[in-house]
Amino acid sequence: MPLSALSNSVLPLRPFRLIGGAGIALTIAALVILVLWSIAAAASNEPASARTSIDVPHLLAMTSIQAGLTTVLSLLVGTALAWALNRLRFPGRDLVVGLFASAIVTPGVVVAFGLLAVWGRSGWVNDTWQGLFGAPLNIPIFGLGGILAAHLILDGAFAARILLTRLDAVPTARLKTGQSLALSPWRRFAVIDWPAIRGTLPGLAAIIFLLAFTSFPVVLLLGGGPANQTLEVAIYTAVRLDFDLYGAVLLAMVQIGVCATIVLAAAAFAPVPPSLGPSRGQRWSDTGGARTAQWLVLVLSILGFALPLAAILVDGFGSGLGALLQRPVFWRSAGTSLVIATLSAALTLLLALGLGLGRAATRNLALRTGIAAPSYAYLAVPAVVLALGFFLLVRSLGIDPEFAAPAVIILANALLALPFAVATLSPPLDAIALSRGRLIRSLGLTGARQFTHIEWPLIGRDAGVVVALAFCFSLGDLGVIALFGTQDFATLPLLMVRALGAYRTNDAASIAAIMLCLTIAAFVTIPRLFGSSADARA
Amino acid sequence: MARAYRPDTIDTFLHTHGRNPKRERPMVKFARFALAAFLGFAALPAAAEEVPILRIYAYDSFASEWGPGPALKAGFEKTCTCVVEFTTSEDAISTLRKVQLEGGATKADIVLGLDTAIAGEARDTGLFAPHGLDLSSLDLPAPWTDPEFVPFDYGYFAYVYNKEEVPNPPASFEELIALPDTFKIVIQDPRSSTPGLGNVLWVQAAYGDRAPEIWAGLKPHILTVTRGWSEAYGLFLDGEADMVLSYTTSPVYHAVAEDDHRFAAAPFKEGHFPQIEVAGILKTSEKQDLARDFLTYLTSLEGQKVIPTTNWMYPVVDLGADLPPAFTAQPKPEKLLSIDEATITANSRIWIDAALGALQ
Repeated sequence: MPLSALSNSVLPLRPFRLIGGAGIALTIAALVILVLWSIAAAASNEPASARTSIDVPHLLAMTSIQAGLTTVLSLLVGTALAWALNRLRFPGRDLVVGLFASAIVTPGVVVAFGLLAVWGRSGWVNDTWQGLFGAPLNIPIFGLGGILAAHLILDGAFAARILLTRLDAVPTARLKTGQSLALSPWRRFAVIDWPAIRGTLPGLAAIIFLLAFTSFPVVLLLGGGPANQTLEVAIYTAVRLDFDLYGAVLLAMVQIGVCATIVLAAAAFAPVPPSLGPSRGQRWSDTGGARTAQWLVLVLSILGFALPLAAILVDGFGSGLGALLQRPVFWRSAGTSLVIATLSAALTLLLALGLGLGRAATRNLALRTGIAAPSYAYLAVPAVVLALGFFLLVRSLGIDPEFAAPAVIILANALLALPFAVATLSPPLDAIALSRGRLIRSLGLTGARQFTHIEWPLIGRDAGVVVALAFCFSLGDLGVIALFGTQDFATLPLLMVRALGAYRTNDAASIAAIMLCLTIAAFVTIPRLFGSSADARA
Repeated sequence: MARAYRPDTIDTFLHTHGRNPKRERPMVKFARFALAAFLGFAALPAAAEEVPILRIYAYDSFASEWGPGPALKAGFEKTCTCVVEFTTSEDAISTLRKVQLEGGATKADIVLGLDTAIAGEARDTGLFAPHGLDLSSLDLPAPWTDPEFVPFDYGYFAYVYNKEEVPNPPASFEELIALPDTFKIVIQDPRSSTPGLGNVLWVQAAYGDRAPEIWAGLKPHILTVTRGWSEAYGLFLDGEADMVLSYTTSPVYHAVAEDDHRFAAAPFKEGHFPQIEVAGILKTSEKQDLARDFLTYLTSLEGQKVIPTTNWMYPVVDLGADLPPAFTAQPKPEKLLSIDEATITANSRIWIDAALGALQ
């Protein structure tokens, strides 16, 4: 291992970072085990009911095809879009970037309905087509195509947001060199951009695969029937319909196993840390065909990604908004949502920094994987299992679930956002350790000064994205609160579901639109706040 | 090497874990504020403990702002020295699962919102106590004799359509099957949705052994199978499908709340399958009398007046002029189907699998 030996000598020794990171990782892993154990323990108290009989291999194959296609398409589209956004400057660019980023944290069902509002039988496209040509245009939006389209909106735009952060962080010095060498657009991508995003791709791919693998409401809504299903549906059935908790734990373990394989495979790719340095944004535009291609990608993406989201806004800000705003329950829920989202975003950042710094403090592959892998667990554990496990765990600790609800929801939401946060913060922290390690050692910086003077200024922007992401994840989350909600304790998404269940589609649409606006606002403002604080220190 | 071991590495640890005072102070303040807010939430019931609290587990939309919960709570609290507290779950079956998980330790006094399709399973848990009420005068599709569960509203599963878009709706499952494949319906997954399960029971009650054949015939017409009722109904309202599985009373919502008279429920010749929503008192409740009083109130004229325009189902007593005319304008099914509880409990899983198998 000459390379790893060399790298190790470069890294300053930071045992407490290592211990901190490992401690967080172990705690998270222990929590997953406790959650499953508490359900298994409850299962042993129950009489054996009809055991779920499902065709696991078939489900696995179906789900893997869907998730694999989603991953490949999302990364391709995401890379193209990030490339275009990095090069182009136009008024409203920040808003467009914010809009793209907001897709992944918007509840999947809302996005699916937005998609249908544009592409569905009575959607904008079909109505326009019918108005122009008199005959309906039959767009196959239900089935695998629809699932992929919805996932592409959710995950492709997210991939673009993360990759754009990496491209925007390319040091100005590097760009100047490239410009003076007069690199062609293609050479420029290969020489400057590709190394900047390569390190992020495996983690991103793993996340997108897991998201698509465990996607549930979207798959059911757009799947067209029971032929398109996921393992998550089977788990849901086992818990809810058959009350076969034991079966649910087994199925959840199958799902965790599959997902763990994916995460470990992603981790096995030798990480390629991006280059770092002060970045003053892109001033070097491509010309000719490349520029045309960039505009084309951008326009198509805005049509594809932004129209469904715009449909949600149009739908929500129609009639009925005023009536909703007059309900005290709306303001109460909005307040609760904002407090929970803020706290869980703060928690996510702390945990992700702990894990990222711990991981960057070593070049030992097993240790690095061990620190990062548990944070992915919550993408693999179905929400229904997670909620149930937390519920049982809290009860077995003798705490009233209603009392524990806020804490559990904050924790669960932070854990849900953690894989995204780790995948975003880890590559730049690695890069700092590698490229600045020698400098840090020769200056004899303490860990604290290393963080405040070197790391924070360089990762501030990424930290802002992480906080925005975690904030919005928590804002839109429906999974865990469902088992803990009471009449008085509700969040915006829960209120939306309640409105839908009571025929109040107008109110639900307004809530969805408001959540989307909050999300976009968070993505536009939070990274900027963090970016400027980091710049100020640099 | 020695440099890296300097004692200030402890500082490193603290700082990297967010103890940077510059950044944390506002956060700490905020956390304190939030914690106080949360304790405030949680302390509400605790502070009110001198007054007896009646804890009711119900599905989300029942207890929501738009549902019957708030009005029933206010109405009953006027008659008792007590506080009514709803604890909600996603849907009716989740409330049952919750008390099953909690077992003897449950704090719930009443579980509200189960329906006749899962009543048998709920009864078999042995968690429910006899209600001891005389319910013979209730106005239901069939006389009520259940000793444990108290009905509080009912409806009939039906396919709802838009009269402007579908001038000639099918009048039976077989007529629906005979329509061109471009005629689309949305249904709910029987494993996750109460109407979805009701649909399976409906087809089963109407066609018996021929049920899988009916499901296979429906397959080309099924646009999609959603997780819950609201997604399916949303797809229908957005114009994605021609009909949606819902209730005969769904058009009443549009007529009363939105003054929109375009919607109707298609009467099917085979007859319709009813859904009766029930509530039950838990054996472990220490407030049996209070719980019984609530169920009496729930089935009283006053309590029932809340139901039609909040839960959009038929009341179980004759409200006379207090029932919005749109309810009486809506034809009730001429023929009623039913399956006895024991048969449902023993076979529902088999029927669900057969239906899903035929759709695959």
